[in-house]
Amino acid sequence: MSELSRSAPERAASPAAEAWRMFRRNRPAMLGTAIFLSMLGVVIYGSLFGGDPFEIVWAPQTPPGEDGFVFGTDYLGRSLATGLLVGGAPTMAVGAAAAVLSIFIGVTIGALAGYYGGWVDNLLMRITEFFQVLPALLFAMVLVTLFSPSLVTISTAIGVVMWPQTARLTRAEFLKIRELEYVTAARAIGAGNGRIMWRVILPNALPPLIVSATLTVGVAILFEAGLSFLGLGDPNTMSWGMMIGANREYILDAWWPVTFPGLAIFLTVFSVSLIGDGLNDAFNPKLRER
Amino acid sequence: MSPLLDVRDLRVEFATRHGTVTALDGVSLRLEPGETLGVVGESGCGKSITALAIMGLIPMPPGRIAGGSIRLDGEELIGAPERRLRQLRGRDIGMIFQEPMTSLNPVFRVGDQIAEAILLHQDVSRDEARRRALDLLRTVGVPDPGQRIDAYPHELSGGLRQRVMIAIAISCQPRLLIADEPTTALDVTVQAQIFDLIRDIQDRLGVAVILITHDMGAIAEMADRVAVMYAGRVVEEGPADAILDSPAHPYTRGLIGCIPAIDPALAALDRLPPLAEIPGVVPPLHLLGQGCAFADRCIEAVDICRKVAPPLTGRGHAVACHLHAAAAASEES
Repeated sequence: MSELSRSAPERAASPAAEAWRMFRRNRPAMLGTAIFLSMLGVVIYGSLFGGDPFEIVWAPQTPPGEDGFVFGTDYLGRSLATGLLVGGAPTMAVGAAAAVLSIFIGVTIGALAGYYGGWVDNLLMRITEFFQVLPALLFAMVLVTLFSPSLVTISTAIGVVMWPQTARLTRAEFLKIRELEYVTAARAIGAGNGRIMWRVILPNALPPLIVSATLTVGVAILFEAGLSFLGLGDPNTMSWGMMIGANREYILDAWWPVTFPGLAIFLTVFSVSLIGDGLNDAFNPKLRER
Repeated sequence: MSPLLDVRDLRVEFATRHGTVTALDGVSLRLEPGETLGVVGESGCGKSITALAIMGLIPMPPGRIAGGSIRLDGEELIGAPERRLRQLRGRDIGMIFQEPMTSLNPVFRVGDQIAEAILLHQDVSRDEARRRALDLLRTVGVPDPGQRIDAYPHELSGGLRQRVMIAIAISCQPRLLIADEPTTALDVTVQAQIFDLIRDIQDRLGVAVILITHDMGAIAEMADRVAVMYAGRVVEEGPADAILDSPAHPYTRGLIGCIPAIDPALAALDRLPPLAEIPGVVPPLHLLGQGCAFADRCIEAVDICRKVAPPLTGRGHAVACHLHAAAAASEES
């Protein structure tokens, strides 16, 4: 009778609420969130009120702190402060868009492959491997040069080269979860394939996917910076990567035009990684009760 | 009265590393409306495969239905389109699983899972489905259902989870309830409660039950009729009383011998009879030879047992055993 006499619990916390509770207690993760949110705030402010980053405002290569320029000027005399403010938006937007695209493709392909197995799995995994063995940056470069660089084409190119990892992870989760008894139980109440894939298996596969998605954002930001550095960014849009690329030849004369954008990229990606690690811990039930 | 469920000569094969094995070899079962059929046997004898076959949930591949028929109320289920089977699952046939720990989806509240089952088959609003879920929790004896409806599975005990599973299984008032070892994973005291609940539901809804178990005690308590399975075949079938009182197949006798008889007087004197056991294990299906699958473990086996598989014979109380057939024949002459 013990099960009958036990007092009823409070309305239970959802898994998401539970994960958030864990996440909040994780200091590095909260630090990462703080850094990321401040970077995001700066970038949003900058893209609204930052001014024209291409405008030549002062003598070239003015060191930081001189003549009222906190970050100095670059080799053409453009304000680095303005560049930093405005240049974050394309980097972050492309990073986010590319991550969303790669997750969408990766989850769809991985889910179909893992759920149906057999020849569907074989076919989809061979396609995935095809994309996986291409050198990612090179492939993205080719895509960007084929279609003139713009925010859309760059996001697409990065998204297209990054999805195989997500697909493999999703497939692995689906392979594991589809064998579990609650999937059979869902079938036994008459649920169809679509419902079982997206409403039964996917919610249970989400924790590792969310972690991976977060880290994907970081990688996508690095990709965008890399492409811009190589001069394959949108030439009409100032971005952190482009600032480093444009100033790299003068690094021995002036360290600041490459260092500050580099730091901005580093801080953003670092904060995203901290968040990803924090989420990983938050979703790990083995760490819950500590 | 026509049977609610009529399984005839069902053959299920699986492709394995050792080639094709026959998991079910000519299984026939009949179930009248409202009746309880106990299916007994050791692990690996095909009980659960039978249940999955009736639900149309045999994984294909590697599984394959090689023959036979399954009729629910006269409607053939083998070869029926998946759409039709989906309608029947959950609505006309409910199923309870062995492991209440893992058969509920861990990320959704139990109330939502019951409501989901209702919404799949009935055209009602979310609010109405939730109201019915609450009623169902009350029906299956979950205490404090108003609170528990919002609980996650991991917050409930095994017994409560199994009650929730039962609530899901009966949410659309099925005509057939398949309970696949519903109490194996539970404490003994909770087992009795779950059996009481199933019987209570059966009385109220008039649902027929297939109770799959390896526990002869549960059979004695619950079943109207019994089918004893061994290595993919039904070896003895008949009314529960007849089989428990006069088991004809050596395997059935072995199973019954495995029930501990607790006689207080003997226990006080420390003279309880030793527990019987059946030597050996169910042979791997790919190693099954020509003869009776049980022959190697049967103390009474004679030459013919190793050469020819005995057919299931007899009306009412049917047995698949050469020895029994011989004994019956000599009695008649």
